[in-house]
This record gives sequence, C-alpha cells and structure tokens, in this order.
Amino acid sequence: MENTLLKKNTALWIITILVLFVLSIILGIIMRLNQGAVIQLSPVTFYTDMTTHGLTMIGIWFVAGMAGINFIMERYVKTSYWANLLAYILTIVGVVMLWVSTLIGNFHAGWTFLYPLPFKIMWSAWATPLFLFSLTTLGVGWLIWCLSLVTALLKKYSIPQVFAWQHFKKNPQVETPPFVLISMISLVGIITCLIAAVILLVLLFSEYYSNGTFVNDALLMKNLTYFFGHTLANEMLYLGLAILYELFSEISGQPKWKTTWYVALAWNFTLIFILTAFFHHLYMDFVQPEGFQIIGQIASYSASLPAAGVTVFSVIVAVYRKKINWSLSNLLFFIGVVGWVIGGIGAVIDATISNNFVLHNTLWVPAHFHTYNALGNVLFSLAFFYWFSKYYTHSKSKDRFSTLKLLFIVIGGIGFLLAFYIGGADSIPRRYSDYPEAFISAKALAAFGAAFATVYLIGIIILFVNISNRCLRILFSRS
Amino acid sequence: MFKNFIFSFLILVFIGISITQAQAPNWSEEKNIYEKISDVQLKLINGENISLHQLAAQRPLIVALIFTRCTGVCSPLLFQLMENLQHVPSNKNNPYSVLVVSFDPLDSLKDMELMARRIELQNNKDWQFAITDNIDQLNASISFNPVWNDEIKQFDHDALLVGVNSDGYITKKLIGLRNEKEIGLLISSINNVFSPTYRLPTSSNLFSCFNYDPTTGKNTPGLGLLFIALPAVISFSLVFVIRYFVKRKAV
Repeated sequence: MENTLLKKNTALWIITILVLFVLSIILGIIMRLNQGAVIQLSPVTFYTDMTTHGLTMIGIWFVAGMAGINFIMERYVKTSYWANLLAYILTIVGVVMLWVSTLIGNFHAGWTFLYPLPFKIMWSAWATPLFLFSLTTLGVGWLIWCLSLVTALLKKYSIPQVFAWQHFKKNPQVETPPFVLISMISLVGIITCLIAAVILLVLLFSEYYSNGTFVNDALLMKNLTYFFGHTLANEMLYLGLAILYELFSEISGQPKWKTTWYVALAWNFTLIFILTAFFHHLYMDFVQPEGFQIIGQIASYSASLPAAGVTVFSVIVAVYRKKINWSLSNLLFFIGVVGWVIGGIGAVIDATISNNFVLHNTLWVPAHFHTYNALGNVLFSLAFFYWFSKYYTHSKSKDRFSTLKLLFIVIGGIGFLLAFYIGGADSIPRRYSDYPEAFISAKALAAFGAAFATVYLIGIIILFVNISNRCLRILFSRS
Repeated sequence: MFKNFIFSFLILVFIGISITQAQAPNWSEEKNIYEKISDVQLKLINGENISLHQLAAQRPLIVALIFTRCTGVCSPLLFQLMENLQHVPSNKNNPYSVLVVSFDPLDSLKDMELMARRIELQNNKDWQFAITDNIDQLNASISFNPVWNDEIKQFDHDALLVGVNSDGYITKKLIGLRNEKEIGLLISSINNVFSPTYRLPTSSNLFSCFNYDPTTGKNTPGLGLLFIALPAVISFSLVFVIRYFVKRKAV
C-alpha cells in the first residue's frame, strides 16, 4: 500500500515539476526577448521574472532529484511516505507564496536575494516578509524530507558503510551500492546547506523585525547566501547522478555498477570539498581573506573533478563496444553526462581566480550553470521521469517521436547556451534588463538565445505531454 | 594496477594545477592604504626640484601615473579626471593638487611639458607634471606594476589614481576610469574627511566575520566566522546523533 502511495506521490511530483518547468522556461524566454529588444518590459518586470525564474528552477530541479532518489531508495530501505507528502505540500505552499511575493508584490532582489537588497524596499512592503516566509516554508519541508531519508539509510547502514569507507580496503565484506553512497553524500551536503539557509533566514528576520537595533554583517550574509545557494545547486545535480548510477546500467541491460575504492574516494572528496567551493563566489569581495579565496579554488577543483572523472569513466566503460538497449531514458542520461561535463568545465574555468577577473558576472556564468542544468541535471531527471512513467504504466510501445524530442532539446539547448557562452567570452555582463549600445552583440545574441530556447521548450512540451499523460494514469490507477 | 596508477596520476595533476592556478593577479585598491608613499625626489616642469612629501605638505595630492608614449588608457584617465575635477574644484576647504608622474624612464621633462601643453594644463596651478629618477621606488610603495610589452612597444598598466594626504599617507586608491562621485570621495579622504564608502561596524552589528583595528591595521576573526562553520558542524553531528538513536532503538 505504501509503495502505491509513494508511486502516486512521485507521479504527482513529476506532473507538478513539469508544469512549473514549462512556466519557468517561458519566463526565461521572455527575459532573453527583452534583452534582445524584441519585446519591451519595465526593469521591475524583468527583475521580477528573473527572481521567479531562478528560484523556481532551483527549487523544482532540487525536488525532482529528491523525488527520484526517494522513489529508488525504497529498493534498499524503507522510506517515510509522510515526509515525502509533507515536503510536497510545503513545496506547493512555498512556491505559491514565492510567486505571490514576486509576481504580485513585485519583489525583485534576484534569486540570490543578496543582503541588504531584500531590505531596500522597492516593491510592496509585504513582499519582503512573504518572500522570506516562502523560503522558510520550502526549507522546513525539504529539511524534514532530507533528515527522514538520512534516518532511513542509517537504520540499515553504519556510518562507515553508508560512506563506503570499507571500500578503501581490499575485499570489503559489505558492499555499499553506488546509489546509497551518492545519495548519502548528497543528502548530508543538502542538510548542511539548508542549515546555512536557516541561519541566514534567522539573521534576515532578526534584522527585519529589530527596527534597526540589529544589523547584519554583509560579508557573513554573502557567505551564508552562497553556502546555501551554490551548495544546493550542486547537490541537486548529484541527486540526478545517484539515479543515473542506479538506472543507467539497468535500462541499458548491463550488469549493475559497483562501488570501487576510487568511486568511494571521489564521492567522499565531493562531500568534503563541495562545502567550501562556494568561496569562489566571493573572489571580488576584497574583505574576504585571501586564504578563503585559495580554498575556494582548490575546493572547486577537488569537489567536481574526481566525481566527474569517475562518472565519465564509468559511463564510457559501460557503453564502449557494448550492446546497449538504447531508449529515450538512457539517451537522456548519456547526453546529460555530456552536458554536465561541459558545464562543469565552464564552471571550473570561471572558478579559477585568474580567469574570474575576466569572466566574473559576465554571461559566462549563466552559460555554465544553464549547461549543467538545462542539458545536464534536467536531462537526468527527465530520464527518470520517462523511465518511471513507462515502467509503471507497463507501456511497451516504442515512442515514435523519441529522436525528434531529443533533437529539439539538444539543438535548442546548444543554440540557447551558445549565445550565453559567446556573450560571456565577449565580456557582456549578466543581469542587465536592457543592454546599452556599447555591447554591440548583446541584443542579437539574446534574441538568438531566445529563439533556440523556444526550440528547447517545444521539445520539453512534447515530452511533458507524453510523461504527464502516463503519470496521470498512475495517479488515478487503483494499484 | 594500471587503473589505480592512472587514477592517482590524475589526482596529482589536478591538485598541482589547482595550486598553481590559485595565484591571484597582484593588484588591489586596498593595498598600501594608510602606508606612506615613497618620498622620491621630483623634477617638476616649472624647473622646481622637490620631494613628494614636501609637495604633499603644501596641498594633498592626487597622483596619476602615466607615460607620454602611451596609446592606451593614459589620456582617457587624464581627460576623465579633468572633467570630474571641474565639479569639485580645489578651494580653501577642499584643497588638492594633481601630480602627474611619468613611470617611463625614457620620458624627459620636455616630454611631460609637451603633454601638459597638449591638454592645456601647463599653467594650471592645481596640476603638476613631473618625472623622477626613483620611479621603481615610487611604484613599489603604491603596488603599481607596469609591464613592458615589446611587441606593441607599450606598457601594460592599470589606470591608477592614488590619494596622498598632507602627511604623505596613502588614503585611497582608484583603479580604472572612475566617476565624479568617487573622485569626490578621493578628495575627501586626502583631506582626512570621513568617506562613507562602506558601513562601519557599530554596536548593533553583532556577528562580523572580522573585526578591523584601525590602529594596527589588522583584522581579527569575529563571531560571524563561526556561523559559516556552524552548518557543517551541525549536519555532521546530526548524522552521528541519528545513527546513535536508530542503533539504540534497534537494540
């Protein structure tokens, strides 16, 4: 019974995520059309869209990863259905509050809501507390969900086992499945960054309600903001990878992947270093000590490269000269790995201090994070959604438009991202609602990006209709 | 075995790269603030020989570093400065002089005089044009590092303005072409007037990451740093606590 409930809840998550995804892509296209001078928005509308787009995207792809790992984790341990449901309800409430604060209240401090921007009221006065309460609601739901999953894992695995430390020795007695290892690593990281968010929100609320008797330290607030934001954006990607480690071989008709010493080492590296990689967001903050900046760069390399290395190695070994049952799911996983690696390289380039002097706050930044999201993490989750919807509706039919959908997503995605990369390399700044004439190519690139993003959107809508139809059947089925 | 070797090799390579890449370019507006500028001997185009500190003692200085063969940022720097200073003229309450110094050892007094004439400043009492035989000393004291590019026969350098008060202390540095407001703050700072650029810690500011001591010029770690470490400490503790309780419950 509980399994059926979990299945239905997962279907509900998938439909909700896809609806919000389509709406958020439309907001993104509107922003690029405005930057390309194809349409005219007021700066307030532009930044309201930017705030809504950024936070919604981060939120939905985080919960997409969580819904996926929660569903698959049931293969190994008993998870809490109620924590999952509570997280769903609080996510819906949180998103509604967020959209009201931005789209009606005009709150537009950006998805990073960098201190002291939320207190420089240039919108309805009620929008600031509503925005902060929306984040609190989302954070509480997600924190409870993460803690329940960690508890489920720790009921079965000891601490050394769940982190796969026994794999550092020869012939380990117990095998920790890669899915369990990566899920645990990611969940601990997520709990850490959610606690950072709790501290951040407490400090923001304290200042807001103190009537000037308490003032925050801008450096502390920026550190906490990126501790939360950067870490969450990375960890949600690792949730997608946990699903890939579990399902890629299974869908491809290959033997299950095993944890080896270097897989264990790479992911333990990720756990430690991802928590300090966010320092690279403060390279331009002169008051941050130089030591932190160096830690930021080394941690950026150490967190990403080993995990990327072993994953790419594993995927290549799995497909090279092997008979693979290719389907839309494992194709999405495969292309997702390529997108993740390309975006990751872009991120590491930007996280290198000497490069950051040139690339900081240019379009290079959205270029790399859209690459490992739009053509990386999103594809991991879509692969899971597709597999889930097919598997649990017992659909044996071959999808006739697989190639077409994939082509729309990949070609649209590449064109959309290319406009960002070229703009970044051309030192075009990001977060401008209108580009002055000095940035000659900015408008054309934005219009070009919007056109290709529309192609990407078409691919997503076709996939959305397809997956949602099947998920609705799961949701309303009796078993 | 081979796989292990490759893996270890890759780890070593990327650690090496990350350490070597972590070298930040050595420029910063915050370097040398509240240090004394080198008291080099200057030769002014009016024929006067005077030390930099003596000149600053007469009126606080805005020091601009250029070279006359410059085809890059030097002229825009001077023109922008001239334009901005029209809005904040030197007067009794707000005195200053602009000292334009060449950092090119090949520049002569005649070259500097020609430059002053070209931009019609040779008779302006608020502007001084000078060369010095101790340019390396001056550059070192303000962390100015021009690099000669032999291909284009030009120096690669920052557009730098240095504010020096009447005691010879560097009070502010501006890198790049800056607006009238920032030039106004520079002039305030060389006249020892508080420049409200950044909010200073107050008694209501409880959790600063660092506490700056203006007398020693040093930062000491503050309570705020603990807040940055706290999330990791709490979450790892939570993992141990949860494991402890689920194990106890199982027993």
